[in-house]
Amino acid sequence: MDYKFPKDLKYTKTHEWVLLKENIATIGITDYAQHQLGDIVYVEVPDIGMVFERESNAGEIESVKAVGEIIMPLSGEIIEVNTDLVNEPELVNSSPFENGWIIKIKISHPDEIKDLIPVEEYIKVVESEEQ
Amino acid sequence: MELKKTPFYGIHVKLGAKMVPFSGFSMPVQYQSIMEEHEAVRRNAGIFDISHMGEFLLVGEDVFDFLQYVMINDLNLLEVSKGQYSCMCYDNGTVVDDLVYYEETPTRFRMIVNAGNVDKDFKWLNEHIGKFDVKITNLSTKRCRLAFQGPKSDELLQDLVDADLSKIERFYFSHTTLKGVPIFIARTGYTGERGFEISFENQYAKKVWDYLYNTGATPAGLGARNTLRLEACYSLYGHEISDEITPVEAGLFWLVKPKKGIDYIGKEVLLKQKQEGTDRILVGLNLLEKGVIRDNYSIFFNEEKIGFVTSGSYSPTLKKTIGLGLVSKEHSEVDTEIKIEIRNKRLKGKIVEIPFYRNV
Repeated sequence: MDYKFPKDLKYTKTHEWVLLKENIATIGITDYAQHQLGDIVYVEVPDIGMVFERESNAGEIESVKAVGEIIMPLSGEIIEVNTDLVNEPELVNSSPFENGWIIKIKISHPDEIKDLIPVEEYIKVVESEEQ
Repeated sequence: MELKKTPFYGIHVKLGAKMVPFSGFSMPVQYQSIMEEHEAVRRNAGIFDISHMGEFLLVGEDVFDFLQYVMINDLNLLEVSKGQYSCMCYDNGTVVDDLVYYEETPTRFRMIVNAGNVDKDFKWLNEHIGKFDVKITNLSTKRCRLAFQGPKSDELLQDLVDADLSKIERFYFSHTTLKGVPIFIARTGYTGERGFEISFENQYAKKVWDYLYNTGATPAGLGARNTLRLEACYSLYGHEISDEITPVEAGLFWLVKPKKGIDYIGKEVLLKQKQEGTDRILVGLNLLEKGVIRDNYSIFFNEEKIGFVTSGSYSPTLKKTIGLGLVSKEHSEVDTEIKIEIRNKRLKGKIVEIPFYRNV
């Protein structure tokens, strides 16, 4: 299977991607993750202002067949959610790294950034799951 | 335990299907997209590998009487060349399996059973043969099965088979050939569309698949099979019916026949339930808020738990969340407002008429 793995992003073993810009992180799920879920029909996002610890569950992604969780890659406060997903949840399928982004957070513990994994390592995670 | 493979396994993998374990088999849940496969069946035609299901041949002088004893439906409604949907029940009325049997001759019946129940059914049937003159052969792994379903299924299939398909009415079948391959073909299905189910020897698997595939029909996986059957409100064993749920509770009361003078397993309980009603009953569900309901979610009326979701999914045809649920009778009226608990949140829903969709 050929999945997209943008090089400028950081990743988690639970298949989220993170785009870092100063103390703001944009978060979504990877191409591999959307492919595993299949046709996405509903994305449940948290409210703006909510504060989450790293690795806590910040939302759900429902596909026709399954439900996936959005696991927070970093601790922080929700400052924006992708409201396009309300009417077009399939953006997560068609454009997981761009139009299908899910939440933006203000990072509260910058020291956690070093625990995110680089693209080479994430590719290995996917390869091992594929087997 | 190693997963079993149907004769089409290699084809599925080559087509890029996502394979999942299902009833002990490695089966395609989807090839590209459940939504697209679902749409293809509603608009054109789809091919399903249903070789994981079981196939038995029952032969003997007493087959008819034997089936009258173990099945709840009435075989007097059957004739040669016709099939019948029925349930096999326990004494308490709950379900061993739901299945279809086809009368090939008065002493020879073909039976198609659920994948997960093949061994249980084979054992159950044999345990109840007693004095009946019946021999049961399990053909499940010698033969394979495909479903060819959709509004265009007749015209796409007609050029390939020797039988005149327009002469095969719903639930009837024929033994004919498909480009020289001997096949059993029945006008039955599980999608809510017109279509056929075909059975033939394993050695012809690739040949038959290729002919069907080259008609332009879309291979469809278990994901679409489930959304299609849920829209059409066909029961799925282990969900709407099971060894804890009776056919009457599941709304299949029309299967329970009086069969005067014939003693059949489950008769007493089921006829009583049919006459007096049951405490819980299967209903259709819509979710009025955004979300998707799934199997086993709890259903509430005000603060009281009144039942659970037996099957739930997003409906590709209706573009909204639908489901079936078993609820207490007093809250089963259409339009009753209910709540369904999704991950500790209770979302508004409504009891609605079923089926959601059928085009047969």
